[in-house]
Amino acid sequence: MNRVLAFADRNRKEILRDPLSYIFCLAFPLAMLVVMTLVNASIPKESGMTVFRIDNLAVGIAVFGQTFVMLFTGLTVSKDRSGSFLVRMYATPMESSDFTLGYLLPMLIIALAQNLLIYLASLVISLITGPAINPLGLLVSLVTLIPSAVMFICIGLLFGTLFSEKAAPGLCSIIISLSSFVGCVWFDADHTGGVMLTICRVLPFYYCTRAGRSAIRLDFGMDTWVIPLLIVVLCAAALTAVSSFVFRSKMKADLS
Amino acid sequence: MSMIETRNLTRKYGDITAVNNLSLTIGEGELFALLGVNGAGKTTTIRMLSCLSKPSSGEAFVDGHSCSAESKAVKQVIGLSPQDTAVADHLTVRENLEFMAAVYGYDKAEVKQRTDRIIEEFHLGEVVNQRAQTLSGGWKRKLSIAMALISDPKVLFLDEPTLGLDVLARRELWREIEKLKGKMTIVLTTHYMEEAEHLSDRIAIMIAGRIAAVGTLEEILAKGGADNLEDAFVAIAEANTDDYAGGNV
Repeated sequence: MNRVLAFADRNRKEILRDPLSYIFCLAFPLAMLVVMTLVNASIPKESGMTVFRIDNLAVGIAVFGQTFVMLFTGLTVSKDRSGSFLVRMYATPMESSDFTLGYLLPMLIIALAQNLLIYLASLVISLITGPAINPLGLLVSLVTLIPSAVMFICIGLLFGTLFSEKAAPGLCSIIISLSSFVGCVWFDADHTGGVMLTICRVLPFYYCTRAGRSAIRLDFGMDTWVIPLLIVVLCAAALTAVSSFVFRSKMKADLS
Repeated sequence: MSMIETRNLTRKYGDITAVNNLSLTIGEGELFALLGVNGAGKTTTIRMLSCLSKPSSGEAFVDGHSCSAESKAVKQVIGLSPQDTAVADHLTVRENLEFMAAVYGYDKAEVKQRTDRIIEEFHLGEVVNQRAQTLSGGWKRKLSIAMALISDPKVLFLDEPTLGLDVLARRELWREIEKLKGKMTIVLTTHYMEEAEHLSDRIAIMIAGRIAAVGTLEEILAKGGADNLEDAFVAIAEANTDDYAGGNV
């Protein structure tokens, strides 16, 4: 466990000392929170569009923020692999599980801290603009989004392992755009229906925001919270297993 | 007593044989230089000895442990400073050292004690709180070697430790390496003649993946019929290159 914690601490410091990570993981999502709140103020109530209402927006932005943690996971892993840093580490007693856990843990803490800050900002905004968000709902939603954070981090780990320092961030950007769109961060698929809703339901991102939004309203219905959360948990577990397997296979290939 | 032994160690990449039937023995406390031009097989040899590559055939032993079958045991007793400096850029010098010590499983007190000791031994005090990304090439190399030494390895592999350094930084690093002589077995790869000449107890000249000559400086000079290592190297290389190219050995 010492080795995992040492490697996790190194990764945490590498990310937190890069100013770009603050811009992408914190400043940009917070800016979008403010901008979309202003946009929401301009939308007539009669339109029935609630996706930018602060309780919905908070969760959307939290999931959107997690995708940037994915980007930095991909960047860190691909950078480590492209240089000789991992070569040095491979010559130490560290094993593949030490590496994957060492990448996963600090990213998860960063994602949680990021989501907490986004939710605190949302709480302040909700007190100003209304409707007020229930702090307990925020807390439950924060916990509900943990599997979603794991899922995104594992996608970053997978891309960072499989692709180069140049390709991995590009591919992560595609996932950022795709997940924010079909994850219903910027539009309400349930009100759109049709093919768009079907596409959203096929991918796991829709369920991240759905479970988080239900939790914030303390709505723990089977269809609104339990099943979406279960889907995200299963996807996170599957991606954790796949990314760990791929990292181990790549490490084995590197050492052959 | 031998610390490293290879028996017909061979590594092939497709049709290319990077290391060909390498058999050598390196003693405890010896500083052994693998001297050769780029692509001679020096780094591949180090990679196999430090369990980073598996041999296509043959076997290597470090401290009596097989590099193929007992890689965990081998990794506990070796330290590696790769060709590129391989340090964590955003960590300070102290944090890099503490990180490496923690990776070897030492507790907090031991990590601090080892870090303090290595900072003093390597005179890293003036840059100890500086982030690695801001260090000059010479300091980075020193840090890289210090990181490899944090676990008190029995065998230290230095892959081209002074590559790209200016003459002053190179001399400074030589002094640090000289201080380590006798304390552990050191395998150093280089293509700088004066480096091998200055530092090594024994030198192996690698040509096209094979050992063309091995011995003390005097023995190499005698074999090459020259009075300096560069001439001896050229003579030995020219005598062997045709044979290797023809596949006669």
